[in-house]
Amino acid sequence: MAHLSNQSHHAETPDHEDRIEIGSLTPHFQAHGFPWKQVLGYVASLLLTALAFVLVMNHVLPPTALIAVILVLAVLQAMLQLGVFMHLRESRGSAWQVIVLGLGFFMAAGLIIASVWIMMFKAGVS
Amino acid sequence: MSQAVRRYEETEQHLPIEFADYHESVKITGFWFFLATDLLLFASLFGTFAVMRFDFAQGATPAQLFHYGPLILETLLLLTSSFTCGLAIYQMRRNNQKGMLMWLIVTILLGMGFVGTEVHEFVSYVGMGATWHKSGFLSAFFTLVGTHGAHVTVGILWALTLVVQLVQRGITPRTSRKLFTFALYWHFLDIVWVFIFSFVYLSSMTGGRIA
Repeated sequence: MAHLSNQSHHAETPDHEDRIEIGSLTPHFQAHGFPWKQVLGYVASLLLTALAFVLVMNHVLPPTALIAVILVLAVLQAMLQLGVFMHLRESRGSAWQVIVLGLGFFMAAGLIIASVWIMMFKAGVS
Repeated sequence: MSQAVRRYEETEQHLPIEFADYHESVKITGFWFFLATDLLLFASLFGTFAVMRFDFAQGATPAQLFHYGPLILETLLLLTSSFTCGLAIYQMRRNNQKGMLMWLIVTILLGMGFVGTEVHEFVSYVGMGATWHKSGFLSAFFTLVGTHGAHVTVGILWALTLVVQLVQRGITPRTSRKLFTFALYWHFLDIVWVFIFSFVYLSSMTGGRIA
């Protein structure tokens, strides 16, 4: 597999839109004989889930701390799904999905946190 | 499509088939944009639930409704289906049509098991008088969890159409892109479920503020 230098190669080939642009891929796509990545990802997701359930079932922490811990576990598991199963960083050319999804998560967090924050004042007026 | 479409194995370059055609690969990027907007839909429903979760209006409380049994079953079914969907993509990239179809069908069956368990759970809540107009908590709960369940149901129907296409047309740059976007959708729903079981169910079972 030759490393292509992007720009110069584009100029030479008129049909570059349909050409395979291996040079701009980061990282390279995985191709193993056994789906280790998927199996390990599944085991890790089961462990994170089991941990969340066991912590809550045994009430190992005060409620507020417990909720914080299981939310952290949920975020870890979301990152795992994105990285292992959704191939987040695989793309042809620029990985726009990372930027768009980052913006989506930022707006989602803002939406939820701001809603909870503003409705905390409900107790003061009703 | 036409001669511009090159097969993965013909090019000797390690680009998966779903990215092999430029126009199809753009649709994958476009689907990520859709997922970002779907994320905002779920974020607003999570925000609503976060605000309403203690508004029981003398109706049922999470402690009365939620049980670990169905929750663990639903979670296991969906986590496993996410894994089998990942295996379907893995086999698709290896150009193994049989393996891909087998894991896709397993994914569909697990998804059906999830929806069936959830419908059973909802029916039992309604049987206990916990309908969605009873309280703010129940409205927010049924809207959030129901929207997720509707997404999974749509995903099952989508996957069934893909089974037909993949059997008829085989693994082409176009059908593989369709399966890849379905996989993105399916894993995304698994992520949403992780937040539902953590924030909606488990956080209500921590022993904090019950009615």
